[in-house]
Amino acid sequence: MMNGKEYIESLRGLNREVYFLGRKIKNVVDEPMFQPHIHTAAMTYELAHEPEYQEIMTAVSHVTGERINRFTHIHHSIDDLVKKVRMMRLLGQKTGTCFQRCVGLDGLNAVYVTSYDIDQKYGTDYHERFRDYLLQVQENDWMPSGAMTDARGDRSRRPSMQQHPDAYLHIKERLDDGIIVSGMKAHITGAVNSHEILVMPTRTMSEEDADFALSFALPADTEGVSYIFSRQTNDTRRLDGVLDGGNPKYGIVGGEAVIVFKDVFVPWERVFMAGEYDFTTELVETFAGYHRSNYGGCKVGLADVVIGGSNWIAEAHGVERSSHIVDKLTDMIAMAETCWSCTLACSYEGHKTPSGAYNIHPLLANVTKLNITRMVYEWMRLAQDIAGGKIITLPSEKDLENPEIRETLFECFAGKQGFSPLDIIRMLRLIENMSVGAGLPEAMHGAGSPAAQKIMIARRSGIEKKMELAKTVAGINRDDYFERIIGKDETTHWNEVKKKLRGRETEIY
Amino acid sequence: MYTIGLRYCGGCNPQIDRTRVVKDLREGLAKLQTAVDITTDRSRAVDLLLLINGCEHACLEEDYSERDGPIISVEGLMVDRRPVEEDDIPDILIRKILDMMSSSSH
Repeated sequence: MMNGKEYIESLRGLNREVYFLGRKIKNVVDEPMFQPHIHTAAMTYELAHEPEYQEIMTAVSHVTGERINRFTHIHHSIDDLVKKVRMMRLLGQKTGTCFQRCVGLDGLNAVYVTSYDIDQKYGTDYHERFRDYLLQVQENDWMPSGAMTDARGDRSRRPSMQQHPDAYLHIKERLDDGIIVSGMKAHITGAVNSHEILVMPTRTMSEEDADFALSFALPADTEGVSYIFSRQTNDTRRLDGVLDGGNPKYGIVGGEAVIVFKDVFVPWERVFMAGEYDFTTELVETFAGYHRSNYGGCKVGLADVVIGGSNWIAEAHGVERSSHIVDKLTDMIAMAETCWSCTLACSYEGHKTPSGAYNIHPLLANVTKLNITRMVYEWMRLAQDIAGGKIITLPSEKDLENPEIRETLFECFAGKQGFSPLDIIRMLRLIENMSVGAGLPEAMHGAGSPAAQKIMIARRSGIEKKMELAKTVAGINRDDYFERIIGKDETTHWNEVKKKLRGRETEIY
Repeated sequence: MYTIGLRYCGGCNPQIDRTRVVKDLREGLAKLQTAVDITTDRSRAVDLLLLINGCEHACLEEDYSERDGPIISVEGLMVDRRPVEEDDIPDILIRKILDMMSSSSH
């Protein structure tokens, strides 16, 4: 297992093509725009070496029996599923942002489960190939980025009907030793600081879209693969000092990128789905389920940070005992713990799949994520409320460093005695970073937009069974258990009841 | 007589009608005139355990394993971790039970 420093150094060995703000970035590792994201991912490596976190940060590989970073592990028990979300909360607490590596973890697990099922139906050897790949991931402690979402173009048209053929990543050519692929994957988290790319289809494919039913893995610096790093709110503050960035160590959201594949060769041993369109739903839903469950862990870890920050600011401003502040903080805690309860529930209610790997409870995972799409906005709104208008009107770090105005500004932003004005500004910047910026729509759309969760919830709600329950309680269906309790059939029972009541009815009119 | 130990999960939120599955199974075996005794008496020695879990979480699998002898497990809309349709479950169980019976008699 690598530690944080070793992970960062390992990225230097990858010579990938990355663009940002109109420039080609020559040195990804030392680029100030990328460094906070790299530090955050490094935390997933570092904590695995700390005895106080090893219980959840590491696992025993079912392939080798060796202790590995849990981010490369295939869940093989309910305990694994629970520890996974505990790990997510822990890392959210330590970084206050997205640590990126869960996408690859979920991809590894989803492809593991689905490749097994494909082989069972078609007699292919995808699962064996994938196990070989997994072994390399575990032995090298790689971070694969999970590349699912395609550019998608005109959403009303199927992938094969798009005007631009590269709107969806697809097989262009099948060769004896591999396939040639082209297309794009959009907003891929952690892409510029991952060792590998693990590709999955973005949606259910039909027969005519068979060439788009595709899963494979490649080294991140494979020839023909390039990256365009995305912008985030206030991102260039990182080039403008330290304090104004808000979370200069770990940044904001996960550092997303567009990944472009131009006639890229993928050897067969790294292809895990190539045309089996009838398994695209399973792969997408399995991945989405795992990934949606995570949000009740990582975002609650972020909530822990922002709740702590809000309480600290209330203390610094001398309002921590005001009833409305206590009420707001209590609401924030209750919402965060509701989401935590959801993710624990979907982990504890998980199940074993035919592959032997464990999957979360899909309905509860989607409920978890749907709550996140709403509650993150609400607890961040309350954080803004408690922090006050200063979170969007603070002067810049450069003004705080200017001797002509520095003391005046510190007087202006002073709080209760014992709190340094600089610390108050530092905390307000963190709350600004977490509650005003890109983290909000990331909570909305990451792992799929709310509509996607609702589709899954509706599909898995078991509404027919609920109607049967209602019909039984209402007396439309026969209620066997009630009849056993009363010792006769319901019709006889109610006739007897009516007879007993005769003459004793309430006189209303 | 081949004896099957029947175990139901707690039935908190089942995906399937567990009692209907067992009723149809009993009727199917009776039609085939198979000499099978299905019992819920936990004190009896059995040849096979049939776990009827209402959902894929399969709580009963936490209590029973292959150490307890041969097992067939219904896990909501799965039988022995293979996805199935609810209406097909009794027939699938009958086939599995007959296979188990024939292998145990050899």
